[in-house]
Amino acid sequence: MAGSARRRLLEAGYACISRYGISKTTVEDVARVAGMSRATVYRYFPGGREQLVREVISWEAGRFFARLAEAVSGAGSLAEQLEETVWFARRAFLEHEVLQKVLETEPELILPQLTVESSRVLPFVRAFLATHVTRADLRAGLGVDEAADFLARLVLSYIASPGSWDLSDRDQVRQLVATELLAAVGPGPAG
Amino acid sequence: MRDAVPDRVIGAALGCIGRWGVAKTTLDDVAREAGCSRATLYRAFPGGKDVLLRAVAVREVSSLMDSVRARLDAADDLEDALVGAIAEAGRIVTGHAALQFVLAYEPEVVLPELAFSGMDRALRAAGALIGPHLTRWLGPDDADRAAQWLCRLVVSYLTCPSPEVEVQDEESVRRLVRRFVVPALTAGLDHSSSGGPGCRNEPVAAGR
Repeated sequence: MAGSARRRLLEAGYACISRYGISKTTVEDVARVAGMSRATVYRYFPGGREQLVREVISWEAGRFFARLAEAVSGAGSLAEQLEETVWFARRAFLEHEVLQKVLETEPELILPQLTVESSRVLPFVRAFLATHVTRADLRAGLGVDEAADFLARLVLSYIASPGSWDLSDRDQVRQLVATELLAAVGPGPAG
Repeated sequence: MRDAVPDRVIGAALGCIGRWGVAKTTLDDVAREAGCSRATLYRAFPGGKDVLLRAVAVREVSSLMDSVRARLDAADDLEDALVGAIAEAGRIVTGHAALQFVLAYEPEVVLPELAFSGMDRALRAAGALIGPHLTRWLGPDDADRAAQWLCRLVVSYLTCPSPEVEVQDEESVRRLVRRFVVPALTAGLDHSSSGGPGCRNEPVAAGR
């Protein structure tokens, strides 16, 4: 079936990148690991090596956020969901060996794509945060979608670049959520 | 006071990069555009293209910071300060021919400076350079933190455009500032009462 063949190629592409890095991954390697011919690889990825690499990155970015959504699905209030999201996502980002290795050794081969991916991932994070937003969370006049969009942008920013925040410290995560996220959308102390 | 030759060379480099990008711009192109000899160019930028590119980046970022600071200082209240500064940054960035060319065709030249640890560095710089110009309305620690937070937002809207927020349009920015930014800065970035990094337990002069 086309679906599973493409998936096998993406998995093979990911395995090669984790073993050899992006620049040293060839179509031959991917074909071999997937147990398919080069011709088959080009059939699914007519743009060749470049297209395959782009799609592996895109695919893994999607899987990263799916894993994140799974990990924080139990969170209750918006504050809790934001705290769990920031906490888990930052840890998952740091513990992602393949990503960290590529960022260290060949950042120029992945950064443009990740910037493009963050545009694609934003609606996903926005929708995921919106599921936990209630009217009580929002200042009068603010809509759920616009609040979720604003929050999602900042969440993605913190995951990639914590700045002055130590996101391995749960107290700081709580502080960040209260003062830099909820403060922007919430009703505030006056209610 | 800027030196005439280096300034002219940097201007020439920006012109070339805006037309052909970084990879295809040679020092000969830049010298020709600047109307000077290669020898003069090398005297101003010993070390060649890399040194020149770094000087271009430094000058353009400084220029952006100068414009943003001027808008902050000229404003009467926090809302006007933020709207003016963000829209100005948006206008400068979106209208910058060389930057836009590089972002479109050679993003790997610029993105490492603005992603992950590059962004951490940019945030620290924003805090240090812009923070002092927010202290009219916020305490010093809050001002640094606010400047970093604003930098995050501006970069996000510039790299992931939104149909609702046009960073170079004042009306659009004013809506964003009123709905999210001022409420956060006047209510939320009060670290003095809740502890956390950089907390100094001082009262915050918010929204004065």
